Amino acid sequence: MRLQRAFTWYLRGLAAALGLSLLAGGIGLVQAKLLKQEFLTLMLFCVLALPPLFAFAAYVWRISPLRAARYFDRAFHLNERVSTALELQNENHAVEIIQKQLDDALSASRQIRPRRDLPLRFPKLDLALALFFTLLLGALWFRGETLFKAASQQRAVEEAIAAEQTQIEEIIKELNENQSLTDEQKEALAKPLEDALKELEDNPTMEGAVSTLVSTSEELKALGSQQALQTQQALTQTGSSLASQEGSPLEGVGKDLAKGNFAGAASELANMDLRQMTPEQLQKLAEQLEAMASSLAATNPQLAQQLMDAAQAIRNGDMAAAQQAMSSAASQMVQAGQQITAVQMANQAAGQLQQGAGQILAAGGGQTPSQGGAMAQGNQSGGQSNGGSGSGSGTGSASQSNQAGDEASTSPIPQNNGAGDGGESAYQQIYAPSLLGGAGGDTLGVPTSGEDGEVIGTSPTTAEDGQSLVPYTEVYSQYNQFNRQALENGEVPVQFMDVVRNYFGSLQP
Amino acid sequence: MTLSTEKFVEYANRVETEVGRVIVGQGEVVRHVLVSILAGGHVLLEGVPGLGKTMLIRTLGQALDLKFSRIQFTPDLMPADIVGTEILSDEDGKREFRFRHGPLFANLVLADEINRATPKTQSALLEAMQEASVTVAQQTYQLEQPFFVMATQNPLEMEGTYPLPEAQLDRFFFKINVNLPDVGEMVEILDRTTGKETPAANKAVTGADIVEMRALARTVPIASHVKEYIAKLMLATHPEDPNASPLVKKYVRYGVSPRGGQALVLGAKVTALMAGRYNVAFEDVHAVAKAALRHRLLLNFDGLAEGVKADEVIEELVRARMNDEG
Repeated sequence: MRLQRAFTWYLRGLAAALGLSLLAGGIGLVQAKLLKQEFLTLMLFCVLALPPLFAFAAYVWRISPLRAARYFDRAFHLNERVSTALELQNENHAVEIIQKQLDDALSASRQIRPRRDLPLRFPKLDLALALFFTLLLGALWFRGETLFKAASQQRAVEEAIAAEQTQIEEIIKELNENQSLTDEQKEALAKPLEDALKELEDNPTMEGAVSTLVSTSEELKALGSQQALQTQQALTQTGSSLASQEGSPLEGVGKDLAKGNFAGAASELANMDLRQMTPEQLQKLAEQLEAMASSLAATNPQLAQQLMDAAQAIRNGDMAAAQQAMSSAASQMVQAGQQITAVQMANQAAGQLQQGAGQILAAGGGQTPSQGGAMAQGNQSGGQSNGGSGSGSGTGSASQSNQAGDEASTSPIPQNNGAGDGGESAYQQIYAPSLLGGAGGDTLGVPTSGEDGEVIGTSPTTAEDGQSLVPYTEVYSQYNQFNRQALENGEVPVQFMDVVRNYFGSLQP
Repeated sequence: MTLSTEKFVEYANRVETEVGRVIVGQGEVVRHVLVSILAGGHVLLEGVPGLGKTMLIRTLGQALDLKFSRIQFTPDLMPADIVGTEILSDEDGKREFRFRHGPLFANLVLADEINRATPKTQSALLEAMQEASVTVAQQTYQLEQPFFVMATQNPLEMEGTYPLPEAQLDRFFFKINVNLPDVGEMVEILDRTTGKETPAANKAVTGADIVEMRALARTVPIASHVKEYIAKLMLATHPEDPNASPLVKKYVRYGVSPRGGQALVLGAKVTALMAGRYNVAFEDVHAVAKAALRHRLLLNFDGLAEGVKADEVIEELVRARMNDEG
């Protein structure tokens, strides 16, 4: 009886294990959380662990004698002899019929041959259930590739998001440790990154993560000051020029400037002892200061003025005033350096975030970094697309080779942004009558949602009064903002999200 | 008590054998009637005329060596016609009322076509069945044991009859349907009844033996789960019971009373002993289930209108309960 029970419960355990695997696996796959290998492991674990456990428990489970007696009466067709005898064993055996019943039960029991009369029975229902679940599992295994792929992609996306979160934390740490930045600059740079971290925590989906990273990247780029980059360029050029003048008073300063060590250059400038210089050196110094001032006049007028004041003071023989002016210039240079560092870090972080967004998109089966010219910047050095001449932008070409069916992959607008090019100045001003500003025209915005033709929002424009031309980058950033909102709010159908994203990516300057 | 179980089986087989010498076929009917006698109950036989119902009881009377009487129920039959009445007698110059026993004062009474008598007359018989006594002019007369009534009903010609009320039907231990014999049995009947000699039954047991057999049958042990099964079966005949089968819920107005359970248990005990066993088994209960329950199950209008038979309901119930036991 114990063997029969153990066998029956083994089959039940098998059916339960298969059912549990199916349920857990099904839920895991529908939620795209279970990989194929994990599904197999879960299935094997259940099938190997549960049936023996059930069988063992059934075997050792206590059986009451009366229950066993009733079972044997049924199994061996004893017509309730044994169970009645068991109940009568405490009765008065002197009563003839009771004694006869007991003897009859004993006699009938002795004629039983368990092996012959009680073969192992197969519980058909449990067996059928186990087979049914096995078939379903088999179907899921062989036909569920789509689900497994989705789970695999989801896992890859989660890992990519986690990696991106780690990277953002490292960027924030680097920012906080950077001595060149002021506290306000650190805070201004760290805030979008911390917000991005929180958004990634709250919305760890592919779309959400990509949207967060791209918008944060835009935000960081917006922190970048044109002027600072132009100042950096001017300072670097000036530095190179000064460094080439061997033996000149500002040679050291020039070398520091050329290397981008603005703090060092400022320190050297401030510590220059004019009383130790010869008149020729002073003369040379004044000339160099004037040259520096004139090259910086357009980008950093304050620094240029300080330098000019110092040069003037030197020519006038007022060393104290010259010293003072040079110290002021040095302070100004330090500030400029901090601003430049902040912009560099912002651009660097923006680039990393763009790259991260591309990697997440690639993990989710979207555009790969190599294909996405807009997404994968890859350029870590400062002064990217928005600088003047500068280091290679690393921006991919506008023509992209994307997945099949992606109509937006070819760039609709020639952008002239090959290597070495780039920047706002390379773009033509475009005709955007909807962004007319100033007097004489209404400012309209691009419809974001609502009924067809309805204008929801307005957007400012920097176009001059009466002019219909505005910078392309300004138009693009506004349109891209609307695009991001639409993607985040789910206004774009799922099957078109990649198309829309790719399209706007191809438009990016 | 001196009767042994072997003797019991021997006597029972002897009676069946003797009855079988006269009555052809109807093995189940004979068995059920004998079970009812040995359990101390009365029987209601339902069958068309000419199937040997009267002959059966007469033959039983011969085999059991018991006093037999037959009462033909008619609409004008009065209670006094069956229980007896007081008559004025003049003996030795003394005039007094003396009670003259009616045909009820026998061991085996055949109440033929009981549904033709008025309810008043029916109740006089039923009172005797229940109490085993008769009260006339405030005097109670005990009926001699064993006292056994076999009532008959004709399922045809129900016009102008007085169907037994449910409460009265409940007093019958078994209700047995007598069916037409098959070809082989018919041939045998013709042989036996149209030949030169008509067979007769010999005495098999006495009335005293019957009383002892009844006492022995009551001592047969029954396991608790079998009793529980019988109780559940009974309760499941009530439509409001959670274990009631679909047929019960749909077609039964009122289920079996505790008398039905008593009939099941006693009938099963006798059946077990007759099978040579010393305990009640499920198959014994199944063997007597229909006879014990069919007249106690009241069908509702739907059941009557759709021609549902009580036997069908009982079969479904027995099957369902056995599945639960298994």
